[in-house]
Amino acid sequence: MASSRDDFIIAIRSAFLKKSTQQKFSLSTLILISLFTIILSNYDFKIIRYAKIGINEVVYRSSFIVSIPENFIKNTFLEINEYTTFFKKYKEDQNELNKLRSENISNEIIQNENRELKELINDYVSSSEMLLAKIIVDHDSPFLKSIIINKGSKDNVKIGTNIFDQSYLVGRVIEVNYRTSRVLLLSDLNSNVPVTIAPQNVQAIITGSGTDFAQIKYIKEGIFDEFTEQSIIYSSGTGAIFKSGIPIGRLKSSVNEDIKEYNVEFYSDFSQLKYVFADVGSKIEITKVEEKSNNSEVEDKTPLNAKLKILEDELRIIEDSNLKFQSENDFLKTKINELNINITILKNEITNQKKIINQIDIDKEELEFLRLNLLYSHKCQTRKLFSTGYKIGTPEYKKCILNKGKIDD
Amino acid sequence: MINFKTKGFYYKLYTWFPIMFLFISVLNEFDFNYLNLRYFSFNFPFILIFYFTIKDVKNFDYSLVFLSGLVNDTVTGLPLGISSLSYILICIATSYIRNITIRPNPIKDWFYFLFVISLINSINYSVLTLFFSFDLILVSYLINTLFTFFFYIIFYSIFKYYMKGLND
Repeated sequence: MASSRDDFIIAIRSAFLKKSTQQKFSLSTLILISLFTIILSNYDFKIIRYAKIGINEVVYRSSFIVSIPENFIKNTFLEINEYTTFFKKYKEDQNELNKLRSENISNEIIQNENRELKELINDYVSSSEMLLAKIIVDHDSPFLKSIIINKGSKDNVKIGTNIFDQSYLVGRVIEVNYRTSRVLLLSDLNSNVPVTIAPQNVQAIITGSGTDFAQIKYIKEGIFDEFTEQSIIYSSGTGAIFKSGIPIGRLKSSVNEDIKEYNVEFYSDFSQLKYVFADVGSKIEITKVEEKSNNSEVEDKTPLNAKLKILEDELRIIEDSNLKFQSENDFLKTKINELNINITILKNEITNQKKIINQIDIDKEELEFLRLNLLYSHKCQTRKLFSTGYKIGTPEYKKCILNKGKIDD
Repeated sequence: MINFKTKGFYYKLYTWFPIMFLFISVLNEFDFNYLNLRYFSFNFPFILIFYFTIKDVKNFDYSLVFLSGLVNDTVTGLPLGISSLSYILICIATSYIRNITIRPNPIKDWFYFLFVISLINSINYSVLTLFFSFDLILVSYLINTLFTFFFYIIFYSIFKYYMKGLND
């Protein structure tokens, strides 16, 4: 028993410490170096960072060169696959192209409208500058889903830069070297994206599952019933990690143990990516807003100051509105005076007109009397003997004339 | 199969083949992942390192194995040193089995390989999830271990021809 234990210890010691003539280092030394490297790589020292960037640059380029034969085989394999379904796909593509062309016009209109509305609500308008990047390493590891692109800090790529395939979101940059960067794909387990599910307008977070689908998380129970196969997933922009309104995929239902589940099927096929776009654009207006908010943040550090500032703002608003009301009041008073003067003038005018109308009426009556007088004066005039008429100028005479010569007994 | 009349340049190149192949495999991630088979992946460097260290092949230097681990970490995006540690642990395991074995048996080696890769993948998984907070699928690791185990015997028969050429 003791001898077997001794043998084991000797064998282990030999395995660790014995260095054959071929080997430059013993295994125990290399184990220690490995552990030291793991610990060091965990810290973000400047020297380590630069060493890592240097190793990355060399290894990525070497990997790209070494991968050429395998990529050639892979591409040939894919091309043969494509040729077998060529015609069918061509027909489908043609139909889709026609459909997309018509949709494109309305999309442009919506985009413009959206831009205008964003400006109206004081949202930022970011100027996107898309940089075409080639994928140099895309080894589809079963554990981590990431790609290496041939653009780095030299091309203004930063950690967090959004990466697109056409107009679809595919991931974000998690590691930047001088001329290369690593992109974490949306399908990776460590990828979380805040999204909006349309048309239900549900906010959620999708998490990569290591496959071609993503899982929907952090939504209320029962909301799943509202979803349909046609529901579209696009980034909501919450958290400012991803830009808002970028299409990601659509919902796909599956039945798992008699329970209907919804997963997100990505628009983009991550295994077929050759070129991608890196959004290195600057957010012009948001920077201003951010700067402004940063300044105000510094000022409003203490709660008392913040309270005072709110009260001052309130006071200023009240004073402003008071001034506005006063000037409005003055304006209304002058307007009332003007109107009163107008009324007096109009009243005078009416009195004058009434007078004129009365005069006209009198004249008209007089004229009628004179006309009738010519006709019936002989009937109403008094004679010297046996007279039945009236004396000229008397009211009775006038009445008689107006009654067309009829004398009242 | 291969007969080197004189141990000149070609023989030297031939002796460097395993380590060259190891570097190519870590740089290229030689794993047929583009076939898009969902439950298929295997770790070729594990097979290569295990086989050639158990045979104690000339020019298969541990320091180069360590370096290939660093390259693998860079390509796959793992924290630096993880793969190096795994590869060196394989080297220790093979060194130990070589010390205690008098009559080598391929089947025994094969099952010992299963034990070793299971242990190393477990360490790998634990370190990545516990210390680096990586989200990893355990099933993928199990499948990877299983396929690596199955493929070992296939590559064993291929590498046997290489060894025959080296010894002749």
